[in-house]
Amino acid sequence: MNRTNMISLGFLLIMGIFPFVADSAWLAVGTTFLVFSVVAFSQDIILGRAGAFHMGHAAFFGLGAYTTAILNTHFGWPILATWAPAVIIPMVIALLTTAPIIHLRGDYLLVTTIGINIIFLQILENDLFGLTGGPNGIFGIDVVRLFGHEFFEQIDMYYMALILLGITLFIMKTLDGSKFGRAMFYINKDDVAAQSMGIDIRYYKLYAFAIGAGIAGAAGSMFSVQYSAVSPEAFNVLQSIMFFTIVLVGGSASLPGVLLGTFVMFVLPEIFREFETARYLVFGLAMILTMILRPRGIWPVKFGNIPSYLKKGKK
Amino acid sequence: MSQYLLEIKNVSKFFSGLTAIDSLNLRVKKGQIYGIIGPNGAGKTTLFNCITGIYTPEEGEILWHGKEIKGTPPHKIAELGILRTFQTIRLFAEMSVAENIMSGRHIKSTQKWYNGIIPTPAYYKDERKNWEKVGEYMELFGLSDYATTPAGDLSYGLQRKIEMARALAAEPELLILDEPAAGLNENETKELADIIRKIQAMGVTIMMIEHDMDMVMNLCEYMTVINFGAWICDGVAADVQDNPAVIEAYIGIEDEDEDES
Repeated sequence: MNRTNMISLGFLLIMGIFPFVADSAWLAVGTTFLVFSVVAFSQDIILGRAGAFHMGHAAFFGLGAYTTAILNTHFGWPILATWAPAVIIPMVIALLTTAPIIHLRGDYLLVTTIGINIIFLQILENDLFGLTGGPNGIFGIDVVRLFGHEFFEQIDMYYMALILLGITLFIMKTLDGSKFGRAMFYINKDDVAAQSMGIDIRYYKLYAFAIGAGIAGAAGSMFSVQYSAVSPEAFNVLQSIMFFTIVLVGGSASLPGVLLGTFVMFVLPEIFREFETARYLVFGLAMILTMILRPRGIWPVKFGNIPSYLKKGKK
Repeated sequence: MSQYLLEIKNVSKFFSGLTAIDSLNLRVKKGQIYGIIGPNGAGKTTLFNCITGIYTPEEGEILWHGKEIKGTPPHKIAELGILRTFQTIRLFAEMSVAENIMSGRHIKSTQKWYNGIIPTPAYYKDERKNWEKVGEYMELFGLSDYATTPAGDLSYGLQRKIEMARALAAEPELLILDEPAAGLNENETKELADIIRKIQAMGVTIMMIEHDMDMVMNLCEYMTVINFGAWICDGVAADVQDNPAVIEAYIGIEDEDEDES
């Protein structure tokens, strides 16, 4: 078993035990941590693997959340039935909105993806077709019902989020061990060399966006059920910046790095809640220092995950 | 079907008024080692970039097995069986040697679009097959000991080998080498010549730009000399060496160097 598998399984195990030692307030923090980790991983597919400077990820996260909220409250769909559309709609929207801009590089792509996020927020705040509920958002989202059982307690939410994270980790593992994940890395490291090896840059970047948006949509759906409400400010550009920063501070394309990044950027502020807004000062400083001292992140990615039968000689 | 693998017919490439390639003609036969030589700035790399689709020439035709490929994007060119190395080494420096060579297997991989998220038995089989191929190419180039080493940490000579192994892993019909001996010492250059011969013996046609004249004259069965983007002469080694136009082109450059110093 390789190191990444061990870290993922160890992490899932620890998080599986966590509810037995945590009170309900911490359980809520834990649930949000799991959901944000999933979003951070999906951002990492686009940013850390394909190397696309995407700073509008909260839009895809929000699309998933609003898909579940709208289908449930306006059309009476059960939550379970909204899961598939909450994945597929962000995927389709991601493909449609990024296809015309996918050839843009670095900062140019960054600005256009911020634009996508701003337009999305405007749609939410202006209550499009009377569906999005304007600045207040949507309240009264149902709980998950299965075989006559209602999953409404915090611990139910927690384990649903944990299962979602488990599925996400499995997808990431499959992706990294496939020609798709590798193609993204090749494009990221040297796009001219990558295309000369027969890699269609456009295709694999769009692939990254589609998978990333789909996973973020699933996390959004979970997020809306957890709070039984959605509102626009949870999906603004500041949130997108946070997901972007989590990946860079933690370590692009590094599984433990992204988990650490989410912990540092989301859980630490919760722990130091008593310091109120002063904690964000420390936080900004921490971001600056990480980028100066560890430009590749707190826990940088390590390449060389190749089958054991190819490893010989030097270890 | 054409008897030539690759034909360049009256190809011209301009950069904002500057003529980089001037109605050039050349024909490469299957199995040949074909040399492109000429002074610095003669347009050799530009020609390679035109063949591999990085540039699209404004005029002329590029025929691959008799079919026009001008304007085909680089990734499609690779799928056709034309692979290349670069004058300035372009490896995925942070990634391991094995992962670098695995990029050559990309076009040979049979994974389906959903295999990026869902593993299937065919996916595992395909992965295993391609990694085994990577193992074979590492063996061939003597790189097995460095399988997990980041490519960027290795010596220049080894990096050149990795670049060739990577291109060869894609099982090309035509391998394009852009100054493969640049930056290599004498021993490494000799080793490189042996490797190129070995690749030719595998049935791969080779086109190369090289400044090391000993190596070119030794290896290349046919060559074209260009200067200022235009054809000067072509022929076998002996003909080219004695051609007064070639001598003039090279000595002309030497004169300029002396003027500068």
